[in-house]
Amino acid sequence: MKLNWLTVIPEPIHSILLNLPKVSLALLEEIRIREGRPLEVNAGGEHSFVTAFGSLTDDAEAAYKPTREVGHKLLDLITNHSLYTMEEELRKGFITIPGGHRIGLAGRTVLSNGQVEHIRDISGFNIRIAREIQGVADSILPHLLDFKQRSVFHTLIVSPPQHGKTTLIRDLARQISNGSWGHPEAKWRGMKVGIVDERSEIAGSLKGVPSFDVGSRTDVMDGCPKAEGMMMMIRSMSPQVLMVDEIGRAEDAEAIAEALHAGIRVIATVHGSDIDELEKRPVLADLMERQLFQMYALLHRSNRDIKFRLFDGKKRGIQTASTRGGASDA
Amino acid sequence: MLKFIGAALILLAGTSAGMLKAQQFAGRPKQIRDLILALKRLGTEISYGFTPLPDALNRISKQMKEPLHTLFLQASQLMNHPSQMTAQDCIHEAIRSNWHNTAMKSAERDVLYQLGYNLGVSDRQDQMNYISLAIQQLQSEEVSARDDQARYEKMCKSLGLLSGALVVILIY
Repeated sequence: MKLNWLTVIPEPIHSILLNLPKVSLALLEEIRIREGRPLEVNAGGEHSFVTAFGSLTDDAEAAYKPTREVGHKLLDLITNHSLYTMEEELRKGFITIPGGHRIGLAGRTVLSNGQVEHIRDISGFNIRIAREIQGVADSILPHLLDFKQRSVFHTLIVSPPQHGKTTLIRDLARQISNGSWGHPEAKWRGMKVGIVDERSEIAGSLKGVPSFDVGSRTDVMDGCPKAEGMMMMIRSMSPQVLMVDEIGRAEDAEAIAEALHAGIRVIATVHGSDIDELEKRPVLADLMERQLFQMYALLHRSNRDIKFRLFDGKKRGIQTASTRGGASDA
Repeated sequence: MLKFIGAALILLAGTSAGMLKAQQFAGRPKQIRDLILALKRLGTEISYGFTPLPDALNRISKQMKEPLHTLFLQASQLMNHPSQMTAQDCIHEAIRSNWHNTAMKSAERDVLYQLGYNLGVSDRQDQMNYISLAIQQLQSEEVSARDDQARYEKMCKSLGLLSGALVVILIY
């Protein structure tokens, strides 16, 4: 088990976390550090506070409370001692550290012309531990293959937050790019994949280089607004498959339509728990109306496995399956 | 004959002690000047280059002569080391272990020490303010260091020679 994110956690939280029960430590998804308030962790979907001795508790009074110094030290370590290089990150509210882990920040914002310029007095940290689960897409990818075109279907992955969307799309990118289709009759090569990674979640890029294995034929446009990134990719990187996370704005739909017309396959994700629910959102309703997506995959995570249901472009259910892999970072 | 050699030795010792002291007076403004230049470079790295602090200090150390070279190099190495030291700890540690090699006094050390509390922990504008404040303080120290140099450098040299001579005369 790699715990590379631990190097940025200062004492005493560092040793408190190492004292956690082994099972919880292995399943850690989030560590929430709030100045003067109880240290909280989320392991395997369960939230609990942590005492100074590393045991889990529900009692906020018994929990360890990080001091201001700990917060300052953490900020110093996650910014590589150089907060001033993080202006863009502070505007967006999170910092990506080596290993693709994201640290969300809360504090007092400084505005300029009504826009958030950066965050001062940072007192809340949410360390989201990214997990790469290679093979999580094994059972879904064979259903997404378009044998006629020797390609993949336009797919929309629908899932509530924290149910493994991003982990899935990352593994899909890797397998499509490497051409490991997982189907005996699929014999074509890996395809050029373009990932528009607005929130640095899919590839966890650091200085433009992906931290995760997203495949050998994959290009990543990191930190780029989705619609603009998709257009840039189409114009300059000639991808065969475009992948984007969490579409939802009108311009996203425009860019997707543009990509579809350019003959590029699109795999996108969206927040939601039901296909019918999506139709209530104007942007998605429009995309669904035009039947631009050929496949919908509905994700649902229960304790240790991810279930998914597949629907075709006309929203007819065609398949239900599940895959192992409890932890997620989506 | 032996007496003569002894007298020469005492004279030599007195002179070199005086020279050494004089060198300190001459070295201090020079080193303050170098330190100011280093901080100006640091300011440029931060405001135009967006260079992370460890890289910036490392780059500056390469352009500096001893003893500041080691000071900056050590600070940058400490920061790159995965030992959970903050920027402040690293800079303070580097100052503590290298300051005795410099000709500078505690006033300059305090300026740098103070800067250590603030480096790396705020936005660019803030960082520039702290750095230019430190530069201003160092400049005023430099003026007084030059005064001291003008006043005491020659005096130390002659005082060394003369006190050597005095001892020789008293012994004779």
